[in-house]
Amino acid sequence: MAGISSGPATYIYACTRMRVRRSLLIPREDYLRMLNMSLPEITRFVGETNYRSEIDELGTSFSGINLVEVALSWNLAKEYQSILELVPGELKYFTASYLRRWDIQNVVTILRGKMQGVQPGKLREVLIPAGRLDKVALDRLLTEESPERVVEALKGERFYPVIERELPRAMETGSFAHLENELYKSYYARLIADVAEGIKGGNIFQKYIELEIDTRNIQNLFRLRAGHVREDVRELMIPGGSFSVEELQRLSGLEDRDEFIDALKRQVRAVPLLNALEAIRGKDAIHEIEVALTRVQLDQMERMSKRYPFSILPILVYLEEKKYEVANLRALARGKEAGLPGERLQGYLVM
Amino acid sequence: MVDFGTAELTLEMVQASQLGMRALGAGLAVGLTGIGAGVAEMGIGSAAVGATAENRDMFGLALLLTVIPETIVIFGLVVALLLLF
Repeated sequence: MAGISSGPATYIYACTRMRVRRSLLIPREDYLRMLNMSLPEITRFVGETNYRSEIDELGTSFSGINLVEVALSWNLAKEYQSILELVPGELKYFTASYLRRWDIQNVVTILRGKMQGVQPGKLREVLIPAGRLDKVALDRLLTEESPERVVEALKGERFYPVIERELPRAMETGSFAHLENELYKSYYARLIADVAEGIKGGNIFQKYIELEIDTRNIQNLFRLRAGHVREDVRELMIPGGSFSVEELQRLSGLEDRDEFIDALKRQVRAVPLLNALEAIRGKDAIHEIEVALTRVQLDQMERMSKRYPFSILPILVYLEEKKYEVANLRALARGKEAGLPGERLQGYLVM
Repeated sequence: MVDFGTAELTLEMVQASQLGMRALGAGLAVGLTGIGAGVAEMGIGSAAVGATAENRDMFGLALLLTVIPETIVIFGLVVALLLLF
């Protein structure tokens, strides 16, 4: 069976499906139209696209902003799980590795909720069972009473050692930020380790990981500057990208913003990123910088996926773009509910 | 002096051999182009199935694109028929 599933045909099949799905994502013009709509109009508009079945299904139990939120989460989880089922061989392995980030997000959400005594039903609404922990596993975690019991139930998971080590400190300080950082750092370290195992196509996956880590690190550096954090940032940076942690520490120490951008530009080779960094010079709002960098990352991934058309990259491009589509729709719905004007919201959308 | 019996036999052999070679050539023409078309259709076919699975409206176009490499086999068949007749 394994012999049958390998070979180029299954890769071509899976990658074509991803390309078709990507072409069905909401285009920029529709976002611009939605910026002028009210929340019920947005709900109806979303209900006419790929999210129809979720909106119909949940329409009886939820309404307004909650309906949109839960429908988006359900759709994302369903989509990711269906992709995991249709991708073949090595691609499934890499996709599953990539999707583990949702496990981290869900577990940290559950821990935070348990710490603050949130009802399991309320917590279930915000979980996105897109990773290895499915709905059943997450429901089991939700029935546990305390954060310690939740962690105990996770024994055997990849991130259990990290979470077990960091939980006492998080409970003591009441903040899960450090725990979350450590979990994501271990997630990236694990992705790099997966690539090093020598599975076919790993070198292409590595290109994505490096790009992702670089983008995250640069975004974090900008965030730290915006927050005027001048202390040791080594702990907050993700190792494994094209910048070493020491270099990032040196970059974060630069006082002048222009000098910082110049120093970054000297280290970067990709032309689109150089252009984006130049454009960032004129921007002050941190969300605009983040959106610009995310856009560059997505464009860069798209370019790479054309160079390797039958690899993990077309799948990752779709997964990432779908993630941002859901984030955009959520931002739109939330923003409209809060009565924010369209021009203000536009700055937060990755289009 | 001349062995006519042997000469006659050789000529028949040569004719039979030529016919055999023609048949072999015709077989190769159809067989190899068939393999070529199969290899070409592998990629197109899997992409076509993928696209149709996502969007049923693609079926007609996908089918058309999938059978385009069949033209190679038709060329092979024409060459084979020319060889044989």
